[in-house]
Amino acid sequence: MKGILCELRLILRSRLSVASLLLLFMLAALAVLSGLREVASQHETLARVAPLNKQDLASVETRYPQDANGGYPAYYSFHNTWDPPSNAAFLALGMRDVAPYMLRIRALGLQAQLYEGETFNAELALPGRFDFAFVLIYLAPLFVIALLHDLVSGERQSGRLRLLLAMSDGKRLWRRRVALRYGLLLICLGLPALVGALIAGMAAGALAMTLAVIASSLAFWFGLSLLVTARGWRSSATATVLMSAWVVLTLVVPTLANVMLNRSIPVHQGVDLMLAQRQAVHGAWEIPRQETMQRFYANHPQWQDSAALPPTFHWKWYFAFHQVGDESVADQVRAYRAGLLQRQVWSDRLGWALPGVGAQAILHRLADTDLQAQLAYQDRIGVFHQQLRDFYYPYLFNEQPFGRQDYASQPQFTPREPSAYAFQPSAWGGLALAWLLFMLGGWQLAQLRPNQQ
Amino acid sequence: MQSSPNTSAATTVLDARDVEAGYAGKTILRGLNLHVRRGEIYALLGANGAGKTTTLSLFLGFLKPSAGTVLVNGVDPFGAPADARRQLAYIPENVALYEHLSARENLAYLLDLARQHADSRSIDGALSAAGLQPEAFDRRLAGFSKGMRQKVAIALALARQVPVLLLDEPTSGLDPQATAEFNRLLNLLREQGVAILMVTHDLLSAADVADRIGFLNAGQLVEEVAASGDDRFDVRTLHRRYTELGA
Repeated sequence: MKGILCELRLILRSRLSVASLLLLFMLAALAVLSGLREVASQHETLARVAPLNKQDLASVETRYPQDANGGYPAYYSFHNTWDPPSNAAFLALGMRDVAPYMLRIRALGLQAQLYEGETFNAELALPGRFDFAFVLIYLAPLFVIALLHDLVSGERQSGRLRLLLAMSDGKRLWRRRVALRYGLLLICLGLPALVGALIAGMAAGALAMTLAVIASSLAFWFGLSLLVTARGWRSSATATVLMSAWVVLTLVVPTLANVMLNRSIPVHQGVDLMLAQRQAVHGAWEIPRQETMQRFYANHPQWQDSAALPPTFHWKWYFAFHQVGDESVADQVRAYRAGLLQRQVWSDRLGWALPGVGAQAILHRLADTDLQAQLAYQDRIGVFHQQLRDFYYPYLFNEQPFGRQDYASQPQFTPREPSAYAFQPSAWGGLALAWLLFMLGGWQLAQLRPNQQ
Repeated sequence: MQSSPNTSAATTVLDARDVEAGYAGKTILRGLNLHVRRGEIYALLGANGAGKTTTLSLFLGFLKPSAGTVLVNGVDPFGAPADARRQLAYIPENVALYEHLSARENLAYLLDLARQHADSRSIDGALSAAGLQPEAFDRRLAGFSKGMRQKVAIALALARQVPVLLLDEPTSGLDPQATAEFNRLLNLLREQGVAILMVTHDLLSAADVADRIGFLNAGQLVEEVAASGDDRFDVRTLHRRYTELGA
């Protein structure tokens, strides 16, 4: 303990080290704060929209208190769906940036509604949102490099290395220094995350896994830095090699892998599905109505005994061609989801080689802000949308009058619970390898002997 | 001055037998035999590249001999570096300590690194014994002269209370007064039974304090001479031999 205090005193006397540690702590704290504020803002938005949506539904009821077959209420009623952020979402906002976490839907064609909110925030597309995951994966390695690049070379260049090694067996010296730096960086990252978790009411298990991800992610960069540092090169050379490794491992390889994945598993954008569905829906205006109804009845024979279409507009035809539109892109939807999931599988596999990718995958899963969460929300919307159709279709196809009491019986959306955490073998495997790298780096450093003077 | 007597195994603390060693395939020491006894100051003289620092590296366990045996108080310094280093203190040519720590803090830190428990009284005692003025104890080393730094390093060696002291060009850059003070401390340590091996270019300094002087040339100990009684060494004779041997 006394030795660690001595080392701590040495670090605290180094302005650069203290500044680095303070900066990382501030960045991590800001990221957590920013994440908490974003989550609070999303909660606030959801809370604000809920009564407004009720007002909107009430205005439809006021406007159409009685309807012959529920067509107007079905068409004009927007039903709110929402996906509340999990207690861990502040750590990694993930896809909540680009995918809507709230969607007002109608009983019309679903696919167009699902993806019309798909936007790309150009401002955030390149750097991503400044959240804790960003600090851990992209910024923290730079601080590891800053604190370790001259661990050996600094002593060599100042002429102390031989004296220091003559005082001990080397292992003791480096173990203390590395352990202290590791501990300080862990505190700089872990403390804000811990405080954020307590404020957000994050589950203990998720918090433990988050801390394990932080510890393992640091272990990877410590291992790599120690391996390079133990080569005994000059500080500038060591820093250059480590910075190059950072660029390659956090920017170049993940980007190239992403490009390769996009090319090898081509997936249309959701907006393409929306356009295809709209094309089918709009095309319905151009073809004989009976043709549309036949296609609809073929898949939904329970409504085929419905009365024949009158010569004028009828809502059941309108809703039927929307559903036919959905069904016309069903294969594309399946392919789209399968493609996304396949990309996710390969992206997860990258975690074996790139602990940063693995750490990101775990944090996003813990935060329930990943693709799986987005698809789960879409599934929830799909279920609710089916409930809406099941509710309105008897009125539409059986010519059943729709009154005030029917408004009260409309389906109510219930949000999903955050998905249960499922073990991610690639990501955790990669992080386990990070510890091996850390041990290897430590062993390599312990073997260090001063070069010929 | 007389030829070196056979060393007694019982009192030999630093022992190198038939040692060959080098770096990156280049042999520097060729069959080195060197023995330093308890309470003896041994000066190893030689030109640049003769193998002086390499010899120290062997005893420090920084280098593995390709042949022969190296022992520090009976311990193989390469095989068991921690055990060997517990037996010795080392003062490099340019004493570089932590500039932003005080003399006291430097000693406390380095002694802890050597797993040596030292209270503030023993640290102060070592600094005083090394000749550092008490008002300098709490000053940061950034303002210290080379001589003062050397004293801190000697204080470290004193506080270690080890049987072996290795010195690399210890008087290089010291003024005559500081050199005299340094030599006084070496004599003190010798009286306490410490075996001291100093490698140096400085023939005069070696002649002042050494009990034996070895001439190292191209990795071989080509001659050893010992001081006899109170006569010490004749510097002229030493210098002639030094020149003749090409050390």
